[in-house]
Amino acid sequence: MSRQAVLCAVGLGIAVIYPLLAPNYLINIGMMVFFVAFIGQSWNIAGGFAGQTSFGHVVFFGTGAYTSTILQVTYSWNPWLAWPAAMLAGGIVGWIIAFLSFRAGLRGSYFALITLAFAEVFRILANSVPFTRGGLGMLIKADQRPINFQFKDPIWIYYIALVLCVISLLIAWRLTRNRFGARLVAIRENEDAARALGIDVFAEKVKVLTLSGAMCAAGGTFYAQKYLYIDPSIAFGVDKSVEMLLVSMVGGAGTIFGPLIGSVALTVINEVTRGLASVVPALKNVQPLSLVVYGIMLVLIVARLPDGLMGLFRRKPRHA
Amino acid sequence: MKKQVTISVSRRGFVAGALAGSLAAPSVLRAQSAAIKVGLIHPVTGFVAYNGQQGRLGGTMAIEDINKAGGIKSMGGAKLEALLGDSQSKVEVGVAEVEKMNEQGVAAYIGCFQSPVTIAATQAAAKYNTPFLVDVAASDVIVNRGLKNTFRLMPGFGVCVDDGIANLGNINKAAGSPAKTAVIVHESGEFGTGTAKLLASKLPSIGIEAKEVIAHDNPTRNFDNIALRIRSIAPDIVMMSNYQNEYMLLARTLFQQKVNVAGFYSILGGGFNYKFVKEMPDVSQYMMDVNHWFNPKSEKAQALKKRVEAGGALFTFEVYLGYSTAMLLADSLERAGSADKAKLTDAIASSTFKAELMPYGPTKFVNGQNQGAKPAVMQSIKGDIEVIAPEEFASAKAVFPKPKF
Repeated sequence: MSRQAVLCAVGLGIAVIYPLLAPNYLINIGMMVFFVAFIGQSWNIAGGFAGQTSFGHVVFFGTGAYTSTILQVTYSWNPWLAWPAAMLAGGIVGWIIAFLSFRAGLRGSYFALITLAFAEVFRILANSVPFTRGGLGMLIKADQRPINFQFKDPIWIYYIALVLCVISLLIAWRLTRNRFGARLVAIRENEDAARALGIDVFAEKVKVLTLSGAMCAAGGTFYAQKYLYIDPSIAFGVDKSVEMLLVSMVGGAGTIFGPLIGSVALTVINEVTRGLASVVPALKNVQPLSLVVYGIMLVLIVARLPDGLMGLFRRKPRHA
Repeated sequence: MKKQVTISVSRRGFVAGALAGSLAAPSVLRAQSAAIKVGLIHPVTGFVAYNGQQGRLGGTMAIEDINKAGGIKSMGGAKLEALLGDSQSKVEVGVAEVEKMNEQGVAAYIGCFQSPVTIAATQAAAKYNTPFLVDVAASDVIVNRGLKNTFRLMPGFGVCVDDGIANLGNINKAAGSPAKTAVIVHESGEFGTGTAKLLASKLPSIGIEAKEVIAHDNPTRNFDNIALRIRSIAPDIVMMSNYQNEYMLLARTLFQQKVNVAGFYSILGGGFNYKFVKEMPDVSQYMMDVNHWFNPKSEKAQALKKRVEAGGALFTFEVYLGYSTAMLLADSLERAGSADKAKLTDAIASSTFKAELMPYGPTKFVNGQNQGAKPAVMQSIKGDIEVIAPEEFASAKAVFPKPKF
């Protein structure tokens, strides 16, 4: 068994045991870490592995959240059944956006901006059409039974987030091992060279955005079931896109564990700085300071570690 | 020369003293009751940070006053301890604060200003059966879900719209019914959309037609197009429902574009406060707003207003609603005689607390909503805010239709 496999097994073991020992607040934080790592990984697969940087990944998140919520609230679907339907919807939206954007030859910052535009269009649509209840948002009835994808004990929602995160890591791991992943890396490094090698660049990019969209939509449903309320700003707000992008960049874009490491780091920094005002009496009523500290730490990470936190674990070449 | 006193303590004496001390310690501890923790969750950062900070100010001032007055007497003078939480204007952070404070052993929560955050946070608190007192959050969904732990002292937007419509009808009638049409401008979230929908459906009952309903995002930093659109429609009344910054910006743009109408009448206009009136007296002149307001005839309210202003802050609705909500909690703790969650929930539910700062009657909670809660109608007149309805609290008569810009 390799050293990496041992480390993974130990990490997974700790993650499984953790909620049995931690109080509910820390379980909630753990759940958030895995959830953000999961949606971050969905961004990482397209933005990190394939180099298709998106500023509007929240479009898939919102599509998933709204699809499962509408199916559940309006058409009385069971949320467990609505979940794959939401993933399908996310995948379809991913396919459409990819098809339209890549057919038009959009690359790099142009593609990033078009995804942002799509997310905004979806947000405005969700605000306008009657079946989403517009700005009123959609409330899922609280009925805490596992059959309803709602749990009294937070440990279960934690484990679901953990499973999602592990699945996303396995997908990322597979991408580093299979030909599809190799083709994505080739496209990321040099699209024209990849095309010259016979790779169908358009098809591969459409495929990866479809996969990424479906994954992110699964995150949207998870969020809706956890908080039981969504509105257009929550589901399609740009801050979620930034969060996905940020955890990947801070952790290390294009790496298997980057989003997870980034999510752990950002959540810990956020929680610690947010708690500053309660811990240090002198800081009471100057809570915005926490955001300043958070920002400074982000700047330091990005400035000192251009490859993200994963860069710390890479072996440096020996000097002669 | 001072006489030096030497106290010699034998080993046996020391042991006896220590034993006596340790036996007496529990009674000393009993006399000094443990503090009752109250979680204050507000968006003190994010796009509604000012409102959140004002809400926190009200809550913490009330807790300070309660403690100065001897704490909760039925619990041996137990003091209240405020745990301060920042929702950062995000649902998930609001819920994380609920979880964190639950671990710290809160007896009750107060918050959260934004309806979406409040919806999720009250639900999270319901898991632990911890009472949640909503100081500010307008959505009626918050109290319509059957959560036993959730209570709201202030009126929701349903009541505000009903009262606002009735009072607008009276004001219009008294002026000879010059207003026949209206344009509604609202923020696109739960609060603004819900209010606008109700307004559009109820305006015809007072003989006013809603010509158009215009939504805008949060934040919006330019209202020129909306102002021009309103001018082209030429309504008699412009009705607004939005948060502070957008409210002030829209009002200023309408003034700059010289959009002359019979009246500006907002429902829960987030920016209608002393800051707006003092900083923009020309813009705010004769604007009307249906909103939470303190009872101007209450001496306690006036005294608190002076204190808040002496501290360099403004006496906005978040402050006195936060203050009154914390006082309601203290009153319930006093009657429950315990911080036990079930007893405290029952005490709040059966409360007949008189919020002295507010123009409300005694509390009567039905499904967690205080039935006695009523908004007031205010008008900005010559750089000050006057209450123009309800009549028993009014400090001035309405100026309607307003003179042109």
